[in-house]
Amino acid sequence: MEQIKNVIVDYLKANSFMDKNTQLDDTDSLTQNGIIDSIGLLELMDYISEKYSIEIPEEMLTPENFDSLQGITNMINRLAK
Amino acid sequence: MKKMRIDAYITEYARKTPQNIALEEGKNSITYGCLDKDVSIIASPLMDFRHCRFAILAESGILYVKLLMAVYRSANIAIPLPIEFPKFSLELILDAANVTNIITTNTQYSRFGESFFEHFKTVIVVSNDSSLKTLRKSIETEFNNPKLRLVMYTSGTTGTPKGAMLSDINLVANAESIIEILGINSNDKAALVISPHHAFGNSIINSHIMAGGSVSIGSMNFVNSVFNLVGSGVSIFYGVPSTYRILLRYPDRFEEAFINVRTAASAGGGMDKGIVKEILRLAPNLKILPMYGQTEATARLAYIPTEDVDKFIDTIGKAIPGVTLDVFDSECRPVEPNITGELVARGDNIMLGYLDDDIATHKKIIDGWLYTGDLAQKLPDGYIRLLGRKDDLIKIGDHRVNPREIERHLEENNKVSKVFVVPVSHELMGTAISLLVIPTEETKVDELFAFCRKSLPGYLCPREILLIDHLPLSENGKISNRSIIEEYKHVKASV
Repeated sequence: MEQIKNVIVDYLKANSFMDKNTQLDDTDSLTQNGIIDSIGLLELMDYISEKYSIEIPEEMLTPENFDSLQGITNMINRLAK
Repeated sequence: MKKMRIDAYITEYARKTPQNIALEEGKNSITYGCLDKDVSIIASPLMDFRHCRFAILAESGILYVKLLMAVYRSANIAIPLPIEFPKFSLELILDAANVTNIITTNTQYSRFGESFFEHFKTVIVVSNDSSLKTLRKSIETEFNNPKLRLVMYTSGTTGTPKGAMLSDINLVANAESIIEILGINSNDKAALVISPHHAFGNSIINSHIMAGGSVSIGSMNFVNSVFNLVGSGVSIFYGVPSTYRILLRYPDRFEEAFINVRTAASAGGGMDKGIVKEILRLAPNLKILPMYGQTEATARLAYIPTEDVDKFIDTIGKAIPGVTLDVFDSECRPVEPNITGELVARGDNIMLGYLDDDIATHKKIIDGWLYTGDLAQKLPDGYIRLLGRKDDLIKIGDHRVNPREIERHLEENNKVSKVFVVPVSHELMGTAISLLVIPTEETKVDELFAFCRKSLPGYLCPREILLIDHLPLSENGKISNRSIIEEYKHVKASV
């Protein structure tokens, strides 16, 4: 669980507005905090699909699944099973 | 009902059709009757200002529209801030706008923090339920163009942003033209999934409110939510080309969601044949209506009528009602068809000028004609074809970007000798940028990437940074987009 989260945080630090010193709580909104935008989200999705060999159905492209570290981590755990 | 302020139309419909829905956002909606009341409540602490500038810092949504209309209602001047920009760009805009009053939402107040608001003399914070907190208030005398109502900043992410000054007449005239070409009426529901802080999004709000219809506000962040929004009875969908490219990645959902949509309008960049073909394959009855315009023209200047989309997709079509388009040579004289010149426009939608910048204004508007900076040719049938920018601006997503400004910004803040911005194709945005860099001994590519991520909006983050050892010069010895692209191809070929 923690491991997946770290992978995502590293990705965001390398590929988004997120600063090295930004403190991000698990439930903070990525879009409302300006960390990621619509294009960035699609790129993140492609990265996750490849990294974890999962397919993300479009009905899962919701704020619940994609707008926070918690949501993303939970979604990957569900789909990777 | 003509030549009124936009907010007066809300009052008009609050009287005629108070129960009709004006705005929707997720599960929330508001009728014209309630919207009119809320706008008046928010306007009340602004009423004793006399035609003063108000920055608006608000996320897209119902509350943003209320704040904007409240500034109009109090007869002050609205300056919406594009909140998707990094803080650094917003501060550039605030400096350029010379604004001392700000009205913001609770959400943005806590996001940006107290220190961001320190240098404002008036700070008003509004909650979702329209309750207000006036943190400070100081009424200063300002001398503004008496017709000024709204300042829209063109996408100045680096360098000096330019504020287009728009009047009530500009806003109403352009909205009327848009209502006419799209046939908007009070039964229409618009989908607003792009930013309302720029000209295109703003024009969607204005035209649908003036027609007494409704606007459903969302964002492009979560594709599932967009398709749900579209499927909830939207009759007119608006997007930039990248909006359509993103949605078309999900053909099944597109087909299902757009089945009852009447019109798909676009602006902020040319739609290519491929997008149009794919949309029509999935939604054969959908009317596609590409539009062209500029912030300096409030929003729209030209459109391609639906029946001509197939034949004329590589043009910008013809002038919208109320606008005259022509192509001038370098001596401001009209040229014959098929001769390249600069596209010029006149009409009630042409801006008053740039805020606090007479020099730029006099370059842009000459004898009542707006010089668009776009190279164009008139076709024999009255349609107009564009042939690139007069200067070298490039379009990334729906943002107009000056590569020379980005280069200067990167050179001034990094240990590099020279930076060149290369437009490269991007699956979703159409165009993205890569960098060619002439390094110094201290240049570190990692640090340069990190600097870009921190100080440039996401769409400007370079796809790649390539080190080179000489200047890409064109035949006449000047640096241009063309010479840089040549050099880029050369470097890529040799890798």
